[in-house]
Formats: sequence, structure tokens, C-alpha cells
Amino acid sequence: MIALDAIRDCLEGVIPATVATCAADGTPNVSQVSQVHYVDGAHVALSFQFFNKTRENILANPRAAAAVIDPVTGAQYLLALEYLRTETEGPLFERMKAKLAGIASHTGMAGVFRLRGADVYRVLELERVPGRERPGTLRRNLLAALRACSERLSRCTDLGRLLDELLACLDEEFGIRHAMLLVPDGAGTRLYTVASRGYPASGVGSEIPLGCGVIGVAARERTPIRISHMTLDYAYGQAMRERAAAEGLADKLETMIPLPGLADSRSQLAVPVAAEGRLLGVLYVESAQEMRFSYDDEDALVALATQTGMVARLLQEAAEGQDEAPAAARAAPPGGAPLTIRHYAADGSVFIGDDYLIKGVAGAIFCKLLRDYAREQRTDFTNRELRLDPSIRLPDVSDNLEARLILLSRRLAERCEFLRIEKTGRGRLRLAVARPFKLVEVPA
Amino acid sequence: MYYIRRGFVVQSPPMSVPPPIDEATAAFLRGPVSISVASRAAGNVPVLVRCSGCSVSQDRRRVTLYLARSKSAALIEAVRATRAAAAVFSLPSSHRSLQLKGSDAAIGVPAPRDSEVFARYVEAFAAEIDPLGHSVEMVRALLWIDPEDLATLAFTPIAAFTQTPGPGAGAPLRPAAP
Repeated sequence: MIALDAIRDCLEGVIPATVATCAADGTPNVSQVSQVHYVDGAHVALSFQFFNKTRENILANPRAAAAVIDPVTGAQYLLALEYLRTETEGPLFERMKAKLAGIASHTGMAGVFRLRGADVYRVLELERVPGRERPGTLRRNLLAALRACSERLSRCTDLGRLLDELLACLDEEFGIRHAMLLVPDGAGTRLYTVASRGYPASGVGSEIPLGCGVIGVAARERTPIRISHMTLDYAYGQAMRERAAAEGLADKLETMIPLPGLADSRSQLAVPVAAEGRLLGVLYVESAQEMRFSYDDEDALVALATQTGMVARLLQEAAEGQDEAPAAARAAPPGGAPLTIRHYAADGSVFIGDDYLIKGVAGAIFCKLLRDYAREQRTDFTNRELRLDPSIRLPDVSDNLEARLILLSRRLAERCEFLRIEKTGRGRLRLAVARPFKLVEVPA
Repeated sequence: MYYIRRGFVVQSPPMSVPPPIDEATAAFLRGPVSISVASRAAGNVPVLVRCSGCSVSQDRRRVTLYLARSKSAALIEAVRATRAAAAVFSLPSSHRSLQLKGSDAAIGVPAPRDSEVFARYVEAFAAEIDPLGHSVEMVRALLWIDPEDLATLAFTPIAAFTQTPGPGAGAPLRPAAP
């Protein structure tokens, strides 16, 4: 039998598939189906969009036949199927729902195509219909790209470098020019951008709610979400604006840093980064080209995301293991007019002059560094003391403090030329101050 | 033979009973639509084949589909054993879809005229899906049948259903007025 993963190009929904069933009395039925989705080497899922005869038949007689076509070569394959179950929520359902949204908008059926369920079938037989298909397009072997990236990632020694290297790898080895990495906040209700590549503004610090767009759904369901055509169903701008309008001031703050993104994004893929069963982040890539990301790209990025997650966990452990007291460095006070830095207790936001810098835990870390500096001209700190500091209130012991420090140092680098956070070693950092400042605590 | 009309099943329809497809529907079936036909094999297992064109008889009581023998061994066997057939016709540019069912399907040898109908269909279908970004070469690879390989599958439609995606999908097509 042909391996099911060898015909995944036929399962992108480019050419509608056909499915045949038989009623209990033997009457055949045949209809088109928008999506035959690859589940694994032995299963496919068909999009269940309407209550119809196909539906009635498979519940009475589980055997089905499906025909799928390679959109480039014209090769045709027949699948003998056995219906197993219908999933109406969860990772598979969300993957198919997102993909269907892309197919629907591409074919002018937005608002008509709606996924009611993912009908999962076992593939009993797969055969090629004899024919004279034309040659396929020559594509690069993604395993070679994956191998090169994997070697590069294994050489990274700190988290910031790892994230940047991952995005550089995608660009240089996979030709994926637009990418970003987001990590969940402590409560797990939002994700914020810590690294990006290929956009005019980095968007570091921008946030999206869990469940919003392909990134938010990938995070919520812990599953890759891939769309091959432009669709408004998963657009961020609209959802973000509605949310900001509904929730008032606090959420306006969250939209102060615009999420980077292509205005004409036609292909999108979001892949969760997880380790030890916990979500560490989401890797998101996009392209203005339709059908840019295939099942193979998805597999490659899942493998890369998995490796990134493991390396990130190792680096975090190593950083937290450093327990030396920081050197008692004292900085010479800088000259110049003092900057006013305000910390608002109401929402934890920090403004340098009138410019919004950051909020939340990263804002609390920043204020702790500033207070210690103001009190004793202290410049050197360890991750460990920040984790233990009660004024920072890290949401939990496994919180990715390092990601918050990356966010803070990158926001500072983009927004303020007088204050800088530098890594001085594993689990250690230094606050560099080039101008005096005045920290104003604004009570709620 | 059975004829289903508005839920009633009538044995051997007299010629006064109108065919279930009207002239506009017949034109649709003859047009650049994608066509697949299914039948039933042993064990109530469905078999499926993609067709390369359709013709409709003058009185609209019989439709003939074109298929490749070399690609249709299982279907031909199933049709010979059961005579059951269901065919779906779908226009790619609009998604308008229709299913016909029959219980007297027969495999035949094409008449000279059939080869012309088939050849015109392949070109028309290629033109229909060209704006959707599919190459003519791909369509020919998918649908072309060598003359010696061409077979026909003809049946009398006894039921017709609209399958255009949407709330009306699956509804019986209203029979044409007499």
C-alpha cells in the first residue's frame, strides 16, 4: 500500500475530494467534500459541514470511498475508508476549522462552509488510479534544512540567542522570511512577543489573547494551526480592536505595541513550543504567498519547536542554578537631567517620560532594578534573587523569568537610549544607567 | 423500475410522468462540471470513479457518463452486479452541485458521437477551472481517456438532489413541470 503521507499534497483541499457511501439498503451516494485532512499514517478526517445523506449513511454503514487529486500532477488516488468517530472540539477539530476557513474564503464560500465536526476514518486501502500524470514540481528537501537548523540550535547557550537563532534558521535554511515567537504570560491568558524577524518594527511586547487568531488557537489547543489562504476568520486586527473596545483602558495598553504582521498574509502557520507538557510559547510564520506552508513544513517546524522547547528548558535550569552573590559593583552616578519614570500601581505599567515601555511582571522587575540602583547604586543582579523577590510576584515557580528579561531588555533597547539591561553570565544581569532618573510610584 | 416523486414511490413510471430533470438541469449536466459516479460492491462497500463528461438523451430520461475502463474495473463489476449508480455533478466556479441516482445502470461501448462529446468536455472543463489556477496539462492528465479505453455508464435518473453547499443541500430537486 502507498504510504498515506506520500500523498499529502492531495489533502490540502485545493481540488475538492469526492466521497461515496452506501445506505443500509445498498443505495450508493456520492458527494464532494471540502477537506480530507491527514491525521496520521493510518487515518484521515473528512470535514462534516452539513447534515446530509453521507452523514446518515456512515452512521448506518461505516464503509466509504474517497477520491483525491494531486493539484499539480493530476494524479488520482482512491482511499477505502472506515468511519470511526466524529470530533466536535479539540486539536484536530481546530486544525480543520482553521484550514476550512482558508478554503472557504478562497473559494467564495466564507459564511457557508462551517465545520460541524471532524469525521475520523481509518484508511483501509490506498491505491493510485492508473493515469498519465504530469511531473511534479521539484522541491527542496526539508530534512536537509531541518538538520542544518537543528545543529545551529544545539550550539545556543542563552535563551535570547536561541530565539534569534531559530528565526534566523527559518529565514536562511527554510526561506521563511516573516516569523515571530510569543510566550504565554503567567496566568496563561495572553501571549506576548519576545522575538520577531522580517517586519519593519519588531513588535516585541505586543500581546494577543489566548484563542485569538491562529497563534491564540494554537496556544489554547496546543496544536499546530495552518491556513493556506487569506481569511478574515483568523485575522488579528479585527479581533484585537473589538476586544480593546469592549474592555476599555487596561486593554488599550495592550494594543499600544502593535503586533507585527503582514497586511497581506495569505499563508499562516502557528506551532506550539512545549516542554515537559507545558506550553513555553508559539512559533508563528507567515507569507504573502498562498499555499506557502505544506504538511511537510508543518512537520519540520514542529520538530524545530520541540527542540527549541527542550533547549530553552535546559538553559532556564542552568540559569536558575547560579547562586553566587553578585559582585558588589557600584556604579559611578551619571550626569545629565533626570528622566522621570512612572510606575502605575493600577495596571503595573511603566512609562519613561510619556512613552509607554512595559507592564506586568516585566514592569515589576524593571522597577525593582531601578529601586535597588537608586538606593545603593547596585547594578548587578541574579535571576534567582528576582525570582525570590516578593515585590515582583512571579506567577509560579516555573515561570519563564528569562523570557520576561529578554522582553524587558529588548523593549529598553528599542525605547530608551539611557537604560540598558545586559547579560553578564548565566543567570546574571547588569543594569546600565547612562542618565540619572527619578522613579515615581503612582498609587492606584 | 421505480420513480420517486415528492416522496411517493411509483412502479414503472408511465411515459406521461415527467423526467426528473428539466432542460436547464440537462444543460448543467452537459456543461463543464466535475463528475463522479459511485456504485455498490459486495458487502455494501461503495466504489467510486471520476468521469470525463456526460450526455443526456433527447427525452432527458437517460444520462450517459464517460469513463476509462482501465481506471474503473471495480466500478464496472459493481454496476454489472447491482445496476445501482449515484453520480454527482459540480460546477467548480459556483459550487452548484447535483446528485442523480439510478437503479438500471449499464456499462456500454461508446458510439462515435460519444468520443466527440467526451473530447469537448475535457477542453470545456479545463477552461472552466483555468481561472482557479489549474493547468490545462493537469486537467488532461486527470481526465483524458484513450479512445480504445473509453466506456459509457448509462442510467435512468429516478431521483435528483441538489447538493450545492448550504442549508438546502440534500433536498430533492423538484421534478420538471409536465
